[in-house]
Amino acid sequence: MRKPIEAADVAIVGSGAAGSLMAARLAEAGKQVVVLEGGPERRRDDLISSQIWSRRLKWSDPAISTTGPDPQSVGFASGRGTGGAAVHHYACWFRLHPEDFEMRSRFGTGLDWPLSYEDLRPSYDRVQREVGLSGDAEREVWRPAGDPYPMPGLPTFTQGLLVRRGFEKLGLRTAPIPMAINSVEYDGRPACIYDGWCDAGCPTGALANPLEVYLPRALRAGAVIEHEASATRVLTADGGRRAIGVEWFDAEGKRHTTHASVVIVAAFAFETPRILLNSRSGGLANSSGTLGCYFMAHAAANVNGLFEEETENYMGVTGGQLVCQEDYAKDPSRGFIGSSTWLIANALKPNDLLGIANSRPEIFGEDLRIFLQKAAAHLATMTFVGEGLPVRENQLVLTGDKDVHGMPCARVSHAFAKDSDRCWAAGVEKGKAIMRAAGAYDVWSGGRAQMHSLGGAIMGRSPDESVTNGWGQTHDVPNLFVAGSSLFPTSGGVNPTFTLSALASRSSDYILASWSDLT
Amino acid sequence: MTVSRREFLSRATVGMATLPVMVACQARVARERGDPFVVLDQKQGRTLEALGDTLLPGAAKAGVAHFVDQQLASPTPMLMLKYLDFPMAYADFYTRGLDALDAVSRDQHEKDFATLAVSDREDLVRAISGSTPPGWDGPPAPLFYFTTRSDAVDVVYGTEDGFATLAVPYRAHIQPPEKW
Repeated sequence: MRKPIEAADVAIVGSGAAGSLMAARLAEAGKQVVVLEGGPERRRDDLISSQIWSRRLKWSDPAISTTGPDPQSVGFASGRGTGGAAVHHYACWFRLHPEDFEMRSRFGTGLDWPLSYEDLRPSYDRVQREVGLSGDAEREVWRPAGDPYPMPGLPTFTQGLLVRRGFEKLGLRTAPIPMAINSVEYDGRPACIYDGWCDAGCPTGALANPLEVYLPRALRAGAVIEHEASATRVLTADGGRRAIGVEWFDAEGKRHTTHASVVIVAAFAFETPRILLNSRSGGLANSSGTLGCYFMAHAAANVNGLFEEETENYMGVTGGQLVCQEDYAKDPSRGFIGSSTWLIANALKPNDLLGIANSRPEIFGEDLRIFLQKAAAHLATMTFVGEGLPVRENQLVLTGDKDVHGMPCARVSHAFAKDSDRCWAAGVEKGKAIMRAAGAYDVWSGGRAQMHSLGGAIMGRSPDESVTNGWGQTHDVPNLFVAGSSLFPTSGGVNPTFTLSALASRSSDYILASWSDLT
Repeated sequence: MTVSRREFLSRATVGMATLPVMVACQARVARERGDPFVVLDQKQGRTLEALGDTLLPGAAKAGVAHFVDQQLASPTPMLMLKYLDFPMAYADFYTRGLDALDAVSRDQHEKDFATLAVSDREDLVRAISGSTPPGWDGPPAPLFYFTTRSDAVDVVYGTEDGFATLAVPYRAHIQPPEKW
């Protein structure tokens, strides 16, 4: 067994979307990079096509508890093992819109980012080229300025065509969802075959997860991944003003330290603030008192419809076929501030949390069997993604309990803001009207779900009101960086992986340009 | 990690053939053989089979009780409960939920759940689906209903055979080495 690396230029906690991108960029620039991944090694042949087997990829840790009226979803959204949650993500890669970066100054609610869309646009464009996105920029009329997609949009199948009728009847435009999924061969990776196993992890290479794009690059450039390496603390010197490495425990519970000139914490929404809070009394990089605050989620729901026609809902990809952002603009005259997106015609499986059976959880017995026979052939669905506004009291705190490594457990509380409630309610009602207009003879919606986890170590201009600056560099500890969705001061109304990847790209550039100052 | 699709498929096939047997046997076979439960006791197993069949006909024969029991005995359980973020040990969730169901059944009908008439089982399941009934000492009853209903769907429809009964093409990239 290889001896763990004890010192490196850069230690990155987490091998997910952000950590893997930064590992590749920094290693390719000649830095010695160690990635500490809390879970086991995952390879393509671990990505078994089964909703039951897919649960092995998810992270469920009793050390994190959730509370509040709208509790965060931990087990379903997170990941454990090489590539983190991005291994099973649905690859809906949207850009935030310019107004998402200026919520406080333009709308008097939420927070401002310390950078503008134009600041981030070059990073979006670069990542888009590296990852390979499919989409139709011309039909996506709401899309912010950016380079054209390198691949054409994914095809629309029967379910998408049926539901699109409803949008068209109500004068609403749709376009293929921008996806980090190949519509044609790209950079040596094949085109998708549209079998809907994205949630179980795509082993063909068509979906751009970290196993396919950035981790191979990082490893080729000499980066090392330590698996089963549970990080517990960022180690510091100079009274907490300088990061010197990371403390972690292996699968046998043995303590290790990896010393590094630069430390990047990219450990998903829950572990990032937990590790920083545990690194120093009162929390490391927490002079603002905002570490752990402003947890957000998207307010989501599925709107379902049964059609006389067969929908072929097994075709396509889990994230959906078409997008509509006609209600993305933040318009106070609607009675709330909030953006939203429709992900239309998600590929379905009979079982699992988002499966056909759970679209009607109140049905059981023979009625359930009959429903499944009918819905397997005739159900169509679409997913509403509504903005969750930042609320300071939505917070992750350490508790008095300890995990197996003696690290304090964490509890995260979450409640949607009133505007987010209204945005969600309006969206669901509109969704039902759309589904009826599409011709569904039976229309219903699921309950509100919390989708994606964001915030907890937000970026901002002021060291008094945020944890990091616009580069993800903590205000208090110059050689300590945060990466991932923890940085988001606002959520927008779209899936976050493209934006957190663009931020990670921008942070990597900054670290390399500032290396001599940082070290 | 950067191999051709053809090379990958070749490797995956080899990998499948050499994967260690992660689960001793399939739940349906375990049930037919009358294998003893590991975590559940026999009575809890019978209750779970009766509950499974009430939630979705065919769940008992498909091995819902042995499926849950095998997963509870596994270091990496693949149960829907993993997604529900409920702060209770998985084994306690099931054993206390099943015991609570039997206790409420005895309180209302002077019989264990597994020996109730079908209509009485359905009435009790309908009751726990909406709220926690008086005398229930376990995880929240609606959550227990949702979880065990999902288990029943997993064993009946979550496999390649189950997809086929719904005429849904399975289209696996990599077949599960065992059903679960």
